[in-house]
Amino acid sequence: MRARDVGLASCHTCGLLLHLPASGHTHCPRCGTPMHMRKPNSLNNTWALLIAAIIAYLPANLYPVMTVISFGKSQSDTIMSGVIYLFAHGDWPLGLIVFIASVLVPLLKMLALLYLLITVQKKSHRRRLQRTRLYRVVELVGRWSMVDIFVVALLAALVNVGAVATIEPGAGAIAFSAVVILTMFAAMNFDPRLIWDYQGEDNG
Amino acid sequence: MCGALLVRNPKGGLDRPIALYSTALILLLLANIFPFLTLEIGGRQEITTLFGASQAMYNAGMGELAVVVFLTSILAPALMMTSSLYVLLAVRFRKSLPGVRVLLSWIGHLEPWVMLDVFMLGVLVAFVKLGNMATMYTGNSLYAFMGLIVVFAAASSSFDTHLLWHKLGIPGRKT
Repeated sequence: MRARDVGLASCHTCGLLLHLPASGHTHCPRCGTPMHMRKPNSLNNTWALLIAAIIAYLPANLYPVMTVISFGKSQSDTIMSGVIYLFAHGDWPLGLIVFIASVLVPLLKMLALLYLLITVQKKSHRRRLQRTRLYRVVELVGRWSMVDIFVVALLAALVNVGAVATIEPGAGAIAFSAVVILTMFAAMNFDPRLIWDYQGEDNG
Repeated sequence: MCGALLVRNPKGGLDRPIALYSTALILLLLANIFPFLTLEIGGRQEITTLFGASQAMYNAGMGELAVVVFLTSILAPALMMTSSLYVLLAVRFRKSLPGVRVLLSWIGHLEPWVMLDVFMLGVLVAFVKLGNMATMYTGNSLYAFMGLIVVFAAASSSFDTHLLWHKLGIPGRKT
């Protein structure tokens, strides 16, 4: 039994529970936002944003996120080499956190969204609870990947001592923040209620 | 059925988030006026502010990233705090102020873009990365910023959108 079966839906913004007209679209009387039985074009939008994020993921990891120019010598750092540097020179707990936030999270997030999209499209009814939980985790942890962008911004702001040392942000940083933002939007566009549709076919 | 938190009733009603958001707003102001971090390298000092991080991105020709950093570390938190306070005060003193509903519905959309805590992790990483090449000093703003993260987290968890929507009610209908 879903809310949809009795024509009910709650507003995304203010949570008001309403009887929706047969068209499935209306405006929330309390906060005025458009309301839908399911987010419109949820799958298409999520696919588009996810594919864009996957494309941006390549330059994000191949191009340097920053270049350190020190005494005339320049050295470029990618996301991965930055993590390796932390493991080698800093302390490994911080390296581990950054590794999780900037390498593991974006990758797993894109794989998770891919998995959610494919299982919903195949009208799968397996592991619904786990998939819903997966979605919540994806929505929650995505923003932490932004940490690398902040590091680059802070380093560029601090290390600007002319000939002695300068740190410049690289093209990889733009691509990387694009990955983070695109996956955040992709997760927002996905409607987790789709996971629970198509259940009348098997277990009633 | 999926185990998500649906409703909770924070203690303190509306006064607690009002107090906490006011504190957070003052801390955000403090975090923006004093030096954030100071770096000493080869006898030269480089002082940066919170805004300096986005400014550096802009100076390096990366306007897009400057916008992203500014939005997530300053603008989104500031907007979220001021609009939350506006809505809270309007409901608390039963004044019908314009735009309360619009602002309240935007607060939820703004929340994922407030990345104060992520920014703090970035500060830690920057500290470690520069540790062996220069000396770093913490500025007063950094302490204000740390306080801000704690107060902001407390404020947003005591901010109950369900309660506020309930108090606002449906226009043209008595609640």
